[in-house]
Amino acid sequence: MLSIELIIGVIFLYILLLFMVAYYADGRRELGRSIISNPFIYSLSIAIYATSWTFYGSVGKAATTGLDFLLIYLGPSLAAFSWWFVLRKIVRITKENNITSIADFISSRYGKSQWLGALVTLIALLGIIPYIALQLKAVSTTFSILATYIHQQAPALHRTIPGQQHSGIIAALVLGLFGVIFGARHLVSSERHEGLVAAIAVESMVKLLSFLAVGLFVCYSMYDGVADIFSAMTARDPKFFDQLTTFGSSKENSSLTWFTMLYLSMGAVMFLPRQFHVMVIENSSEEHIKKAMWLFPAYMFVINLFVLPMAFAGILATGGSQGADFFVLTLPLNAGHNWLALVAFLGGFSAAAGMVMLESVAISTMLLNHLVMPIIVRLEPRNWFPFLLINLKRCGIFLVVLLGYAYQQILGETYMLVNMGLISFAAAAQFGPALIGGLYWHRANKAGAISGILLGFVTWFYTLLLPSLIKSGWLHTDILERGPYGISLLKPTELFGLTGIDIWSHCIFWSILFNLGGYLVCSILLGQGETEREQVGKFVDVFELDIDRGLPETKRLSKPITIVEFVSLLSKFIGQEQAHLAISEYMGDREIDEKGMVSEFELPNLKRFIELTLAGSVGAAAAGAIVESYLSDIGSRMESVYDAFSTVRSSLEESREALYVRLKASEIMNRTLDLDIIMDDLLELLQQEFKFELVIIRLTNQDGVLTVHCFRGFAGNSIVERDWLPEIDTYIGEAFLSNKPQFVNDTRNITKPKSREIMEKERIRSFAHIPIATEGDKPLGMLSVFSQSIVGMFTQPFLRLLGSLAGQLAQAVKIEREREAKDRERKEKEQAILENARVTRDMELARQIQVSLLPSSPPDFAGFRLASRCMPAAHVGGDYFDYFQRGTSLLDLVIADVSGHSVGAALIMVETRSVLRAQAHRAEGASGILTALNKLLYDDLTRAELFISMFYATIDSAQKSLTYASAGHNQPLLVHSSSGMCEELDAEGMILGVRPEMAFEEKTISLISGDVIVLYTDGVTEVSRGDGELFGIERLATLVSSLRSQGPEEILDGILQAARNFGEENAFVDDVSVIVMKVE
Amino acid sequence: MMWPKVKKSILLRLRLRESWVIFFILGIIMMNYPFISIFDKPIKFSGYPLLYLYLMIGWVISIVVIVLFTKAIDHRDDQEKE
Repeated sequence: MLSIELIIGVIFLYILLLFMVAYYADGRRELGRSIISNPFIYSLSIAIYATSWTFYGSVGKAATTGLDFLLIYLGPSLAAFSWWFVLRKIVRITKENNITSIADFISSRYGKSQWLGALVTLIALLGIIPYIALQLKAVSTTFSILATYIHQQAPALHRTIPGQQHSGIIAALVLGLFGVIFGARHLVSSERHEGLVAAIAVESMVKLLSFLAVGLFVCYSMYDGVADIFSAMTARDPKFFDQLTTFGSSKENSSLTWFTMLYLSMGAVMFLPRQFHVMVIENSSEEHIKKAMWLFPAYMFVINLFVLPMAFAGILATGGSQGADFFVLTLPLNAGHNWLALVAFLGGFSAAAGMVMLESVAISTMLLNHLVMPIIVRLEPRNWFPFLLINLKRCGIFLVVLLGYAYQQILGETYMLVNMGLISFAAAAQFGPALIGGLYWHRANKAGAISGILLGFVTWFYTLLLPSLIKSGWLHTDILERGPYGISLLKPTELFGLTGIDIWSHCIFWSILFNLGGYLVCSILLGQGETEREQVGKFVDVFELDIDRGLPETKRLSKPITIVEFVSLLSKFIGQEQAHLAISEYMGDREIDEKGMVSEFELPNLKRFIELTLAGSVGAAAAGAIVESYLSDIGSRMESVYDAFSTVRSSLEESREALYVRLKASEIMNRTLDLDIIMDDLLELLQQEFKFELVIIRLTNQDGVLTVHCFRGFAGNSIVERDWLPEIDTYIGEAFLSNKPQFVNDTRNITKPKSREIMEKERIRSFAHIPIATEGDKPLGMLSVFSQSIVGMFTQPFLRLLGSLAGQLAQAVKIEREREAKDRERKEKEQAILENARVTRDMELARQIQVSLLPSSPPDFAGFRLASRCMPAAHVGGDYFDYFQRGTSLLDLVIADVSGHSVGAALIMVETRSVLRAQAHRAEGASGILTALNKLLYDDLTRAELFISMFYATIDSAQKSLTYASAGHNQPLLVHSSSGMCEELDAEGMILGVRPEMAFEEKTISLISGDVIVLYTDGVTEVSRGDGELFGIERLATLVSSLRSQGPEEILDGILQAARNFGEENAFVDDVSVIVMKVE
Repeated sequence: MMWPKVKKSILLRLRLRESWVIFFILGIIMMNYPFISIFDKPIKFSGYPLLYLYLMIGWVISIVVIVLFTKAIDHRDDQEKE
C-alpha cells in the first residue's frame, strides 16, 4: 500500500544511492581509475537530453498532436551524424583552451569578449527558466497525483497530505541542493565533475528502465501487444487515430512546423547549456564520441518505442487527451499497480533531477564567470576570493532553480510540458549561428556575434517568452491581441503581419533571420580586433595547429614579472595549493634565472598559461581581464612587438624582409674585401632597414679592448667615444664574455647602473649588442644597435637575423685579420733581409779595414824569411798579428787572439794594435810590453768581457836569437832544421785582461839557420773533424817538420791547406792567423 | 568470399567526409517535406500505421549507418597505425 511516507522514503533512498554513486566515482577518480571514462557512461550522460519532458511530455504530445513528438528525438539523431567533425572539434578547442561553458566558448571565440559572455549567459539563464519550470512542474504535479490518489484510497489515514501545497518549492530546493553538492564542490570547473556525471548516468539508466517497465506493462499486461492497442484505438475512434498517425491537413502540422521542430531539436542537443556541458566539458576522450554517435540515438529510439502505444492506451483508458502529460503515471496507478506507479514516479523524478542539477550547475558557472567575475576582477585580488567565489556559485545554482519555480508559479497550467520546453529550445537555437559559424568561418567577428545573438534574443523574447507570460494572465493581453500601442504590425505572434504559422515557426523564422542577418552583415562589414584574430586561429584551425605551432611571438611584456608574483595572483583565485600545483607542472624543465624570472621570450607563454589556468575556473574573458588588470597595477602591460620587418609575418619561418636583408648583407660581404667598406655598407643597410638611431661596430685590439671601428647615426656622444674593456658590469661586456647577444627592450628596466646612466643620457629606448663571432670562436668584436624611439624591438627572429649578420661580418673580419697578419710577416722578413744585407756590407767593410790594418806583407829582414796570413772566420775577427822593426837588427813579432769573433773582438783588436804600436817603440822587452799592455787594456777588456791571448817575440838578427813572452797564447812551434825536432816555445804568463797587474816570463832562445818558427792562433789547431777529433799540435808539428826544407810561404800554404782539408766543410770556422819564420 | 572485399570498399567510401555530408543531407531530406508526405497516408501494415513504421524503421537504419561510419573511422585508425 502506498503512502506519502513511503514515497518520500523511496525518494530519500534513491538520492542516497545517487550520492553513493557520485562519491564512489569521485573516489575512483582520485585514485586515477575513472569509472566514467568510457563511451557508455558518456552516451548515458548525453541522454540527459531526455528529461521529464520526454518521460511524461512525449506521451502527452503523442496523445494530442500525434507523431510529431518524434521530431524532438529524430533531430538529435540526425545531428549525431555531424558529431565526429563538429563535436570533436568543439571538444578539442575546449580542452586546449580550458573552456568552462558554452558562454565561455562563444566569448572566447570572439576575442574573449566579456560582453558576449554576459549576453550568452543572460540568454541561457532566461531561456532555460521555462525548461526548469517544466521539470519542477512535472515533479510537483506527479507528486500531487500520487498524493491525491493515496488520499482518495484511504482518506481516513491521510487527512492532511504533508507538503502537498509546497511540493513545488520543496522539489526546487531539493534539486538545487543536489546541484550544489555534486556540481559546486570545487571552483575549478574545467575539471570534470565525475561524481555528477556518474549520478547522471545512473539516472539515465533509471529513467530508461522505469519507462520501459511501464511501457511493457501497458502493452503486454493491459493489452495484447502494440498491434492490439493500435487496433483497439482504430476501433474506438478511427478518425482520431488517423489524425494522430498522419499529419492530416491541420495547420499545426504543416511542413514548416515539421522543419522547425527538427531544426530546434538538432540545435538543442548541442547548444543547451547542459548538453554542451556533458558532451564537451565532461568529455574525457574524443574517442568516446565515436560510440556515442550511435549509442545516443539508440537510447532515444528505445525510450520512444512505447510512447505512441501508451498514448493510445491512455486515450482508451480515460476517453480523451485530457491529462495526457501524466499517462505514464496514471495508467499503472489506475490499473491498481501502485508499485509500478512508484517506479514511474522515480523515473520521472530522475529525469527531472538530472536535468535540473546539471543545468543549474552549468548556468551558475556561466553566471559566476560572465556576470560576477567582470565585477570581481575590477577589485583588488584578496585571499578570501576563492571562498567567496565558490559560495557565489552555490547561490547561482539556487537562483536558477528558484527562477524556474517562479516562472512555473506564474505560468501555472497554461502550457503543456512539451511547449514549455520548446521555448527553451528556441532560445538555445540563437547560439547556433555564432557557434557553428565561429568554428568554420574565419571572418566571423565579435560585432557579428553580439549583434546576431542580441537580435535573435530580443526577437525570441518578444515573440515567444512575452506571449507565454501574457497568456498566463500575468500581463495584459492587449499587446498580444492588438499589438503594442495598437500597432498590429508589431503583434508579438504575428510580427510584421506574418500570419498563418504556429508560434514556434514564427519565432524561429524571425529570430534566426535577424540573428543570421546581423551576424553575417556585421562580420562582413566590420573587422576583427587583435585578440579576436588570435582566437580565430585557435578555434577554426584547431586541428591544423598541431602541425605548426612555431608562430613568432607578437607580444611582449613591457615589464618583466617573476614567477612568484604570478603564483600569488593565481592563488587568490584558485587557492594556494592548486596554484602551486599548476605552476610546478608548467615549469617542468624550463629555465629560470637567479631572480626567479623566465627569459623575456618565455614571458608571454607564462602569461598565457596563467590565463589558461584561471580560465579553468573563471572563464576566459574574466581570466584575461584579471591578468590584464594585475599587469597594469604593477605597471606592466602587453605591448605589440615592434615589427622590424614591417610586413605581416606569414607562417613561414622568416619574412620576406628578413630574407632581403640577409641577401643584401651577403652581397655587401662579397662585393669587396675591404673591411672598412663592408662595415660601412652593413651599418648603412641596418640603419636604413630598421631605423636604428645609432649602429656601431667595435673590434678588439691587441689589448682586448673593444674599440669603435665604425659607426653610423648621431655622433659625438658618450657611446661612440667610448672603448670598452669587456667586463661583466656592462651589457656590451656581458655580451662579449658570454658570446651571446645581450639586449634591452626597454631601457627603463635596465639593471646595470653603468649602462643605465649612458642610456639615460643619450635617451636610448632599446638596444642590443651582438657579438661578432664565427661559430664556436671567441668574439672578434661587437655589433651594437641603438634605438631612441622604439621599445620592444628585439624579438627572437630579429636577434637571429642580427646574429647571422654579425656572423657574416665575423667571417670578413677574420679574413681581413689573417691577411693583415700575413702582410706583417712578409714585411718583417723583407726588413730582416735588408738589415742583414746592410750588416753584411758593413761587416765586409770592417773586414777590409781590419785586413788593411794587418801588415799586407812581412817586412824584409836580413837573415830571416817571413810569411804571414790572417783569415777571419766572420767578416771581422779577433785575430791580430804585426811586425815592428827596430833598427836594423831587431824585429818584434806579435800574434794575438781576442776571444770571440764579434765586432767587439775586432774593435779590441784594433785598440790593441794602436796601444801596441805606441808601446812597441819603447824598448822594454817582450814581457815589459805585455805587462804594460795588460795594464792599459785591462779596463776596456773587463768592460767588454773579453780577453786577449798574445805572443810577443823579438828577433835579434845579429845574435840570431829570439826573445819572447806569452800571455796565455798557443805555444808557437820551433822546428829545428837539422833534426826536424819540434819544440814548443812556452813561457809563463796569463792572458791579458784577467788581472790589472801581471808579470810575464821572458825567455830567449838562440836560432840556427834552417830553423822554422810557426806562430799561430787556435783557429789552426782547433779545426775539428766530424768525429770530434781536432787537428791538434802534433799534426801541426809533424806537418811543419816535414815541410821544414821549403820556404816559409810554402810552409804557410801547406799548413792552411792541411788544416782546411782536415775540417768537414773544407773551410775555417774560426779565425785563423799564421806567421811562419825561417832562419836563413 | 565476396563479403570482405565489399565490406572493405564500403568502409573506404564511408571514410570520406563527403559521404558523411551526403548521408546527413539525405537524412534531413527523408525526414522532411515533401518527401515525408509520401508516407503521410492513413494506411496500415498489419495494424501499424505507415508513417509510424516509416519513421521508426528509418530511425533504425540511420543508427546502423552511423555505426558503419564509426567502423570506417576505426578502420582508418587501424590503417594509420599500420
